[in-house]
Amino acid sequence: MAVIELRDIVKTFGHVRALDGLDLAVEQGEVHGFLGPNGAGKSTAIRVLLGLLASDSGTARMLGGDPWRDAADLHRRLAYVPGDVALWPNLTGGEVIDVLGRMRGGLDERLRAEMLERFELDPRKRARTYSKGNRQKVALVAALSSRAELYLLDEPTSGLDPLMEVEFQRAVQELKGRGATVLLSSHILAEAEALSDRISIIRGGRVVQSGTLAELRHLTRTTVVAETAASPDRLGEVEGVHDPRVVDGRVSFDVDSDHLDGVVRALADLGVLSLTAHPPTLEELFLRQYGDASTS
Amino acid sequence: MSSAFTGTVHQLRLVLRRDRVRLPLWVVGLGGLIALSALAVPPIYDTPEKVAGYARTVGASPVSYLMSGRQVAIDTLGGIVANEISQVAQLGVCLMVMFLVVRHTRAEEESGRAEMLRSTVLGRHAATLAALLHAVAAVVLIGLLTTVSMLAAGLDGLGSATYGVGLALLGLCYAAVSLVAAQLSASARGALGIAGAAVAAGYLVRGVGAMQDSVLVWASPFGWAQRMDAFGDEQGWPALLLLALTALLLGLAGWLTAHRDFGGGLLQARPGPTRAVHRLGTPVGLVLRLQRGLMLGWAVGLAALGLLYGALVPTIPDLVASNPDIAGFIGASPDAEQALVDAFLRYVFVLMAVISTGFAVGSVLRLVADEEAGRAEVVLATAVSRWAWLGATVLVSAAGALLIASLMGLGLAAGYGLGTGEWDQVVAQVAGQLSYLPAVLVVAGLAVAVCGLVPRWSGLAWAGVAFVLVQVVLGEVLRLPGWIDALSPFWHLPALPVEGFAPWPALVQLALAAALVLLGLWGYRRRDVVTS
Ligand SMILES: Nc1ncnc2c1ncn2[C@@H]1O[C@H](COP(=O)(O)OP(=O)(O)O)[C@@H](O)[C@H]1O
Ligand SMILES: [Mg+2]
Repeated sequence: MAVIELRDIVKTFGHVRALDGLDLAVEQGEVHGFLGPNGAGKSTAIRVLLGLLASDSGTARMLGGDPWRDAADLHRRLAYVPGDVALWPNLTGGEVIDVLGRMRGGLDERLRAEMLERFELDPRKRARTYSKGNRQKVALVAALSSRAELYLLDEPTSGLDPLMEVEFQRAVQELKGRGATVLLSSHILAEAEALSDRISIIRGGRVVQSGTLAELRHLTRTTVVAETAASPDRLGEVEGVHDPRVVDGRVSFDVDSDHLDGVVRALADLGVLSLTAHPPTLEELFLRQYGDASTS
Repeated sequence: MSSAFTGTVHQLRLVLRRDRVRLPLWVVGLGGLIALSALAVPPIYDTPEKVAGYARTVGASPVSYLMSGRQVAIDTLGGIVANEISQVAQLGVCLMVMFLVVRHTRAEEESGRAEMLRSTVLGRHAATLAALLHAVAAVVLIGLLTTVSMLAAGLDGLGSATYGVGLALLGLCYAAVSLVAAQLSASARGALGIAGAAVAAGYLVRGVGAMQDSVLVWASPFGWAQRMDAFGDEQGWPALLLLALTALLLGLAGWLTAHRDFGGGLLQARPGPTRAVHRLGTPVGLVLRLQRGLMLGWAVGLAALGLLYGALVPTIPDLVASNPDIAGFIGASPDAEQALVDAFLRYVFVLMAVISTGFAVGSVLRLVADEEAGRAEVVLATAVSRWAWLGATVLVSAAGALLIASLMGLGLAAGYGLGTGEWDQVVAQVAGQLSYLPAVLVVAGLAVAVCGLVPRWSGLAWAGVAFVLVQVVLGEVLRLPGWIDALSPFWHLPALPVEGFAPWPALVQLALAAALVLLGLWGYRRRDVVTS
């Protein structure tokens, strides 16, 4: 059963078409990566789902209801972390967590204590004195302390340091283990890849690719740059290698993620002198797929 | 040593650029207010009898001592002008430097912008010195404007110059206080709190000292500036006191800057509660908590204003007897004493009610401010409906307006009782103040409608406040056409206590306010939440 179903949603702000016929389906129990560059329309789509914005046209269903008409009732069953967390400067982090939890209909005391600890958040500080990362942690702890059916997380890790990002990934795995549904927006491919069962890629207000990780494997090639003792000329014949180029005695090429093993072995046979590898960024991906790196 | 000041000029240029609108606004606004008040005095006190009357009444009133201190030569035009402008000028210049200084020191540091600058070539004391020079420029301009307007009012040259210098030095002194406050507190709000408390303390100590006619006056910079005795036998040496204290405070600020960590302060914020009390989890509880500071500030300020006006009441017949023109300002004929007092009371009721629309509208507009800041979003993403969120704000604003009206009435009754010894008027006076509440709610209702229908233009609601204020304060003077007067809801209410109470206008206005709220609600439920 689809927990979220957006069909042909259009939302304009004056001349800007923030959503331009967006289709999105999120199934029960899945972690769905909502991937797109800045300005693609991720936050707008999530706000339409929350009934904060009214779409100009199209149909939207969430948790079996109408996100605009049934907003308050549906919100009892979901938790939201905004992309840019703003809090009341006079309240402490602990107070904000309680306020938001009670307003959605109650929070789990045990989870609250556990999340505070795991995210190393001091709940006694006034929100005014929190950094961006700490404000984000307040919103995360508030959301993760609830036992919701659906979690809408809008770029929840953009202010977190790497250790906290690992903690966040663990928390999402636990949500999934509990059977909750998660919509996770991000502009970092690797992050969505690490957590998601399925991914939708949004660009210019419409979804341009959607599918399971396996289906999108061709998108997630690793870029390898290597210097070898023997000539790398025959590397192009190895399965999974794309576009090998030799520049200044170094070979660089892209590898399908599921062929990494064989390629590394082939490289080793040539005698590796130096090696770097990195996953493609979203911009590189767009460059390859659509011939542009447009971000808005 | 010199390296600690490196980059001051650069920093000052940045400060001036950031304040290229704000500084002129302060100077023109405050300077203009002082000039208008100074120029308004001579036409009113145009005969020796009227001048003598002022000296006998206001010049001998304890209330006036408390608010403006003991002005020398109060039986001359110069003394009267100095006495009349002293509150606005002295408090105004102190508040001006306080806001300017904290804005460019602690607030910058708190925002993290200053750190970026400090990591460049800026010396440790550069920001402090630049903020000081900025404040010096501001107080010099205000002092000059004040002197020039006094000269334009036809006052004595030495007296005018002495007054301007005293005012500028007072401002300078509190600029130094603010610099110290900015070093003490780790937050801009804390720094403003400390500096504001210092201003209030100096003002009250001078006032109480003047009431008792004691040496306490000499314990306050306000007293020193006043005891330069402009328009009497001018004396320069109290200026040295102001300069000496300024130098001492600047030294302290410098020492503190050198002995603390960047971003830190001597006073660290206390940790707050870990858990929210239960009522915070409801929309009304949350809004009440968010607005209680605002409400408390307005309530205390307006209750104090009521107290002062109440204490003034017994002096009204004397004041008018000495200068019949004043009766014209409050719309009364100067014959029957009770009629005079009633007319004054009506004026005070309406004036205070009109001022309290500032609270009501400000409170309602928090709704949109919360949206623009991105804070409404997290609330409306919970089970709180739009209806409940707007309703909570409306409820808190209305309850706050009711509370403030009651406290204004009580303050007035208390001042009146203290002044006359008569306490049988308390209920009538509180009721009189409350009778103007429906009009306050209409103005607030207008703000709700604006917030619901056209949130981007929510600032327009302030036009409503400005209009009712102008209509009440200047309506008589400007001789506005009747239909313009009739746009103000205050104009339609019975003029208590001059006229008797009539329920219908009040009920109609309450219904109108409710209709405006419903209109706002209708718009609020249909529109997008404002997002950035
Ligand atoms: N309230 C608004 N007013 C005007 N334009 C907006 C508003 N909100 C979003 N936009 C525009 O809509 C587009 C999509 O924005 P957004 O949904 O925030 O993208 P993302 O979250 O993917 O970065 C951008 O071009 C943005 O400038
Ligand atoms: Mg976004």
